[in-house]
Amino acid sequence: MRWIRPIAAESQETADTVGGKADGLVVLHRLGLPVPPGFVITTEACRAFLRDGRPPDGLSDEVAAAKAGLGSATVSVRSGASVSMPGMMDTILNVDKRLMPSVEAVFSSWNTPRARTYRELHDIPHDLGTAVIVQAMVLGDRDEHSGTGVAFSRDPNTGARTPFGEVLFGHQGEDVVSGRARTHPLHELAEREPAVWAELLDALSRIEAHHRDACYVEFTFESGVLWLLQVRSGGYAGAAAVRVATDLAGEQVISRTEALLRVSPQHLVRTPRMTADHVLARGLGACPGVATGRVASTTDSAVRMAVEGPVILVRPETSPHDMRGLAAAAGVVTERGGPASHAAVVARSMGKPAVVGVSGFTIAEGTLITIDGTSGEIALGSQPSTTTADAHLARLLGWADDVSGDHTERAEAERLRAAHAVLSR
Amino acid sequence: MSLLVLHTLRCIGFAGTARIAGAAGLTESEVESELIDLAVDGLVTHLPGEFGGWGLTDEGRVADAQRITGELESAQARPALTKAFHEFMVLNPELLDLCTAWQIRSNGILNDHSDIAYDGRVLGRFNDFHERAVVVCADLSAAQARFDRYRVRLTDALRRAAAGELEYVADGIGSYHAVWAELHEDLLATLGIPR
Repeated sequence: MRWIRPIAAESQETADTVGGKADGLVVLHRLGLPVPPGFVITTEACRAFLRDGRPPDGLSDEVAAAKAGLGSATVSVRSGASVSMPGMMDTILNVDKRLMPSVEAVFSSWNTPRARTYRELHDIPHDLGTAVIVQAMVLGDRDEHSGTGVAFSRDPNTGARTPFGEVLFGHQGEDVVSGRARTHPLHELAEREPAVWAELLDALSRIEAHHRDACYVEFTFESGVLWLLQVRSGGYAGAAAVRVATDLAGEQVISRTEALLRVSPQHLVRTPRMTADHVLARGLGACPGVATGRVASTTDSAVRMAVEGPVILVRPETSPHDMRGLAAAAGVVTERGGPASHAAVVARSMGKPAVVGVSGFTIAEGTLITIDGTSGEIALGSQPSTTTADAHLARLLGWADDVSGDHTERAEAERLRAAHAVLSR
Repeated sequence: MSLLVLHTLRCIGFAGTARIAGAAGLTESEVESELIDLAVDGLVTHLPGEFGGWGLTDEGRVADAQRITGELESAQARPALTKAFHEFMVLNPELLDLCTAWQIRSNGILNDHSDIAYDGRVLGRFNDFHERAVVVCADLSAAQARFDRYRVRLTDALRRAAAGELEYVADGIGSYHAVWAELHEDLLATLGIPR
């Protein structure tokens, strides 16, 4: 095969050729984890397509032959470049007969103006092209023992060593993204599908051991059978990055030196965090900080109620009409939208804690709530918040002082920088 | 002119006369006399207080929807405006990406604007984006001339940002993001598309 590679344990290809997503799937195969049968069309084929405006000779035949080998009537067609460009390119699900047009659509999505802008902003060359992954469809909406979800091996908000994520029963993954269906906390999988849960935990632990870092997977289970669709490792920020690095060193998975090098001084920037025992709802944190106030469900009521005390504006989404409500509120919650939504952009410009994408969130006007714009958590009542250093940071900075030999009192970032300076000598 | 003031207020939400004048491209005294007439008709109201200002009444919203749709249909501009709206919606996620990149660095830390090279790079992409936005604005104003005001305001916001007034990117009421969001609202209101 000139343009196609199998996604299999024995693959010798690099991410440059098959993209980061396929590379991750190959690792999953090597770890003996369940991946739907599939193949990948190389970035070279994409480059040829973008150069000539048509698929390279032979690609169409290779794709037809490889698809026949999958033993599945319907396939998914996903983009996957050698560098991560989340959400910028196309993914097409449930493709049955006309596979090549879908492949060409994904190739072409490399060059949308939006994708080009993203690459300019993130210093990614324009000439890489994307690989295209074709896999047998696994159906999260097949029956009551099917579903889809995402799972982190450790809590990305705190770094705590507990699996974290969301699961959607009886749906396909696109329903999570579109907000059409309400997700459940990941641990509900343990009660409803204990076999899938056990398999998922085992997978997370094997992937962690391989990468020696926290990891993230996207998964689907079909009639009680688990399939992994994507994997990433690392990428934690702030206090969570500190805790993961310190814990991994404590578990003797990595050395203390490596733990120090994995934490950047920017991770030490402190933002207030909520410390609530019970979380009412969860969305995406869009602007860090903690705010407590009474729920106002319209801009008018936010302005009216703000006279009496702080309010949290809770809207399906925001528009220019909500500007004075946003100005009057101490924080904002939206049901729809992501980190680049109108509400998120405005909240950041005003420095107000914001939680977005809390699907199906309904709460009575006037209810007192507290929101955490880092974790995306919402709790009832007035909840305490903290900016103090936790034990993990104290421990890590102790190691930093041991490395630098300087035990004088200094700013935290200084202590870490001093250790980095010694380690990079 | 009364529809212009009414509809501007419909798209920008509660505001004072200076802001309405800036958005509509009128003088403050023109806006003020229109607002008085509109208030007499019960279409706008003035709320006191820190977050107050002029805004539409429920009757005002109904009247605006009728008049702005009437203007659209009598100009037979719906097909052209709908087409240009789809072009706008292609650009919309990219603009939000740009605003997000302006506010948050790729490591998830808020941009404190101390890295001039980074800010320069993002502004460079805004310029590139704006060239394409101007093309869409031209299509919009070919369908209905009043949309040209958005091209003027977007261009002005970017010019100010480039001159060092960084709040004109994504902070505050005259910023590129705010004007873009008002344009979005205007298109939804004019075409009668619910949010």
